[in-house]
Amino acid sequence: MPTETRFQELKRYVRLDAHDCELLRAFGKQAAPQLPRIADQFYDRIREHEDAHAVLNGEEQIKRLQRSLVAWLTRVCGGTYDEAYHEQTSVIGRVHVRIGLPQRYMLTAMALIRVELLSIADGLLGDEALPTREALVRILDLELAIMLEAYQDSYVARIEQAARQERTDLGTALAKAEHRYVSAVELAGVIIVGLDAQGRIQLFNREAERVTGYARDEVFGRSFVEVLGLEDPTDSLERRLSEVLSGIVTSQVLAGSLRTRPGKLRDIVWNLNAGGELAADSVVALATGRDVTDEKIREDRARQNERLASIGTLAAGLAHEIRNPLNGAQLHVSFLERAIKRKSNEDDMLEATRVVGDEIKRLANLVTEFLDFARPKPPDLKPTSLVKAMEHACGLVEASAKTAGVKLACDLPSSDVEFPADAAKLTQVLLNLLNNAVEAAGATGGGTVVLRGRRGPRQVFIDVEDDGPGLPSADAPIFDAFYSTKEGGTGLGLAITHRIVTDHRGTIDVSSRPGKTSFHVALPLEQSAGV
Amino acid sequence: MSIPPRLRSNEVLLVDADYRTSRRLADLLGDDGFQVQVLCDGASAISRLARSPLPGALITELAMPLADGETIARYARSRDPAIQIVVLTRHPHLLKPESIQNPAPVVLTKPLDYARLLEVLREARQNR
Repeated sequence: MPTETRFQELKRYVRLDAHDCELLRAFGKQAAPQLPRIADQFYDRIREHEDAHAVLNGEEQIKRLQRSLVAWLTRVCGGTYDEAYHEQTSVIGRVHVRIGLPQRYMLTAMALIRVELLSIADGLLGDEALPTREALVRILDLELAIMLEAYQDSYVARIEQAARQERTDLGTALAKAEHRYVSAVELAGVIIVGLDAQGRIQLFNREAERVTGYARDEVFGRSFVEVLGLEDPTDSLERRLSEVLSGIVTSQVLAGSLRTRPGKLRDIVWNLNAGGELAADSVVALATGRDVTDEKIREDRARQNERLASIGTLAAGLAHEIRNPLNGAQLHVSFLERAIKRKSNEDDMLEATRVVGDEIKRLANLVTEFLDFARPKPPDLKPTSLVKAMEHACGLVEASAKTAGVKLACDLPSSDVEFPADAAKLTQVLLNLLNNAVEAAGATGGGTVVLRGRRGPRQVFIDVEDDGPGLPSADAPIFDAFYSTKEGGTGLGLAITHRIVTDHRGTIDVSSRPGKTSFHVALPLEQSAGV
Repeated sequence: MSIPPRLRSNEVLLVDADYRTSRRLADLLGDDGFQVQVLCDGASAISRLARSPLPGALITELAMPLADGETIARYARSRDPAIQIVVLTRHPHLLKPESIQNPAPVVLTKPLDYARLLEVLREARQNR
């Protein structure tokens, strides 16, 4: 029997023949313009799905993934299916395994793509679509088979790893340990990691798996610090860890961060404890950790809100009273201006009164903005179209962007979505962010500003990006009232923006580096009851 | 609507506790052809509005000693619905929209945009 490669065998099994290849090649050429649309829709669907969304890291990554999806679709409909083709598909399969994409998502994703490709075939070929449809089904089955093999390889590797682990001391120790202790460790709502004298992971409980995204058999025997990308602000983590491991000190508390399997940072407070009685075992220390990322965010927000509320009540009354002397000053200046015009008409004196008048107007604007901020009306929530709100805001900023020489791009979602919002206030938010972005981008002479809207599982996401010089520092209190980096700015724009977003029960945050600053607004798709 | 003879279209009643500033505003309006009477509290404003002939326009602040601007405006309206009412205030949010109606008053926030006030008064005078 002539030796057959795995790929040849698979091809024979799904009965993909030369005629199919021809059909697919012809189909690929005709369908090419429609492929980017499939990729767009595909990732919009993923954004709406919570678990799948969690694996993704930002818009740039999504763009990259969309491009590779189009490249893959093009290859699948390319008509050439050789060993190189097989290798490329295997690589993709292994990437899926590496990033921890569950099999069920891979399968449903393939089903989605199958539906799209078949409907394109129907659209292009009508009554004569059948042979092409069959060819498509065969090649997609082939793809599926190759990708599933990658999972199988990983499964075998895991079983082997687990079997190796069984033979180590830990395996026997665990077997001997009392069952209730095992459950206690397993079910505890804290991260529990057991370490041997070299700082290698020997125990990894369920919470640890949940928070980090790693399965235990992936991390057993690997360095605690390396595999979780542990960092602490003082860089003393490794020293302090080794103090506990060597038994110099019995316990340490440290706040730091870890990197999850999908690459996200979480803030963790660690308790490191030397093993004591456990010391006979290979586990010489236990690290228990609590994920405080969400707590920290909540605390920061609550502090911010408290601060805003106290400023509000204190100063709102004062602001009203400022309007009276301003009024007096304004009228006297108007009077002076008129008197000067009548008597001498001296230009520099007129100029001086005009400057005073302008300054009074500026103060008046400040007072009005401040009162908007300090005494906000609750938002008047009505179903609002994301696309309309975005287009409206872009229209309003277009002129000033043009003047500043800034390119303004409005990146709409592939389908519109309605969510409860106060349209006027939402416009104010978008305008504040867009105007800031235009100013920032314009500062370097003709940059780009992008307004992007997307639908998530339970929220809509609105991003405003610019390629300006970036914020002066990562910790700049930009959402605080009266913090301004702009000449002539009131320092209230972003504070008001923050207020409006939180009044909508949404969140706003920012990431910034030179050349790219982006504000992310997330607003709920549904307002919970009792609002 | 018939023109009530007891209303002097060129006269303006200005009510505000800040006398110095009101006098200056009266100077400017006088310059622009209006006859302005300045009063500093709610009670004297109401007693002025009790007498005929009435001014064609009333400019009033909201918070004032003895009677507030809303009361003054409502009283003026009850005397003659044709009086042009301008609320000139440092806290426009205090004015409840239902308190003065048909027509609603013109509300101007301090500091005053003088050109806008002049426009309102001239238009009211013309329509009489």
